[in-house]
Amino acid sequence: MINIKTKNSRHGFNKGLTPDKVSLLMGLFLLLLLPLLVRQNNYILQVFTHALLLATLALAWNILGLSGSISLGHAAFFGSGAYASALLSLDLGLSLWITIPLAGFTAAGLGFIMGLICMRLRGAYFALATLAFIEIPRVITDNWDQVTRGSLGLVGLPGFPSLNLGTWHIDFYSSFTASYYLVFIYFLLLLGLVGFIFRSNLGLALQAIREEEIASQAVGIHADSFRLFSMLLSAFFTGVSGACYAHLVRYINPGLVFGLHFSAIPMIFAICGGRFTIIGPALAALIIYPLDQFIFHPLIPTGHEFLYGAVLIFAVLFMPAGFWGSIQRKTN
Amino acid sequence: MWTTVLVSGISIGSFYILIALGFALIFGVTRYFNLAHGELVVLAGYVAYWLWDVYALSFVLTFPVAILVLFLICLGLKRLFARLTEPLELNSIVLSFGMAIVIQNSMLFLFSGNYRLIRIPFLNKNFHFHEVYMSYGQLTLLLLSLIVIFLLYILMYRTYLGKALRATIQDKEAAALAGINVTIMGTFAFCLGAVLIGLAGPLYGCTHYLYPSTGHEVTLLAITITIFAGVGRLSGIILAGWILGLAESFTVILCGSSWREMVTALLLLILLAFKPYGILGNREP
Repeated sequence: MINIKTKNSRHGFNKGLTPDKVSLLMGLFLLLLLPLLVRQNNYILQVFTHALLLATLALAWNILGLSGSISLGHAAFFGSGAYASALLSLDLGLSLWITIPLAGFTAAGLGFIMGLICMRLRGAYFALATLAFIEIPRVITDNWDQVTRGSLGLVGLPGFPSLNLGTWHIDFYSSFTASYYLVFIYFLLLLGLVGFIFRSNLGLALQAIREEEIASQAVGIHADSFRLFSMLLSAFFTGVSGACYAHLVRYINPGLVFGLHFSAIPMIFAICGGRFTIIGPALAALIIYPLDQFIFHPLIPTGHEFLYGAVLIFAVLFMPAGFWGSIQRKTN
Repeated sequence: MWTTVLVSGISIGSFYILIALGFALIFGVTRYFNLAHGELVVLAGYVAYWLWDVYALSFVLTFPVAILVLFLICLGLKRLFARLTEPLELNSIVLSFGMAIVIQNSMLFLFSGNYRLIRIPFLNKNFHFHEVYMSYGQLTLLLLSLIVIFLLYILMYRTYLGKALRATIQDKEAAALAGINVTIMGTFAFCLGAVLIGLAGPLYGCTHYLYPSTGHEVTLLAITITIFAGVGRLSGIILAGWILGLAESFTVILCGSSWREMVTALLLLILLAFKPYGILGNREP
């Protein structure tokens, strides 16, 4: 345990205002003011709304990533969350404030199944199992026509309902700024939660399991339960993000939400930003996605996503700790 | 009818063996999981399609070109893999996943997302032998795959090089101690893998529709067969390929073709959950 504590202080978990925290606060402040800075430019706002949503995916992925596991199957949670919330709101007419948490629980249920299947697997074999796992909810959604409308997908999903706070009327339907702040608040909550998890006993246990599983079990950490619990948390928030995606974009189909894209994206951001850091994954999402949308997409309309593969290859070969991880290592 | 299903299952299964062999060989010798395997097969298919469509090259002549292109790419991949740090298996998955994305998007850029098929009228003709109905395409797949498997068997079990390769697959350190240059064996595995992919790609292109994202399915197939067989067992790979082919054929007949994609994934999950080191293997990889 002593080893873990010293490791943490090296990773900037010490108290007081460190350069780490200052840059984090400045970044959040910039994000808060972004709608003012871009003068309501809807395209830029939309891109950053999506970037924040992808950042939440990367943060959720990283809860599991902290234990050292690499999952290639988070699209299963994303898609099931999106479908659960979409179907509940469309067919049963439930309010989104109920369906979105339910979507999280659906995804967590799927995470439980996946956790049971993958319990014995480590490292590469775990990654392969998660890769195969996506196919199952995807094919079922594709074929269960009566409930999911099959491969055509769901069109015209309800958007977020407008809120009335006293005299303040917030309409998510027409205002991109409102949608932006909605996702921003979710992002902040998740960032806070991930920060809390990293410092909590759960986080310490997961890091111990990552570093040396047998030794961690010897000091009384129940590795399997902790790993499963982190999988459930990770799946829950991925499902919530999937539900948010469904109601923001308002169109989903099995190939889209269960596609490899949504498995790859959180993993790429987490590995490029730094798997074992709190804000690295979010930072990577907020840099790489806008870079892709503003520069690579106009340049190469088809095939611009090679950028994601290229940054992943670069990170694995030259920056295994991720760029935020490397910066932290240098400053400390 | 059931015999027809059986024969088509064996035919497609033999082709799956051909697809998986390259993956299994590279994995066995170097311990790198190459998730870009399916993308490479599809890329070889695209090369063949392009030569056949634009330059009207005879289909048989597309094989050497596809093999040559794959040779260069695989040697490049080998150099990238060689730079990886520990844990090798996991990092190779992440690295090759990135490569798969790069190759997939390059194909999207070069060949667009349209569905392509190398149409050879002869392959679609049917014939029947007693009760068994078969297309010439299925027969070609079956025969070519069996020939390649036979040649690989000769190479692996009847030559000195094959012996060295098998030794490296079984125990890298012991092989190195016995004086086998393990690095060169790795390079050789990639070269042999390139030949196998270069053979499988054009065949894939004339029996399946080519589009950039289809490679994922091929990769999953190769992984499933390799894990089923355990490491370094040619007989296991043949058995796995046939079982997978038959399972798919029967699923298509019994449940409909839309459930076919789940067979591979389900089989892989069951394998990983209960027998992660292969049906035939009992030691840790």
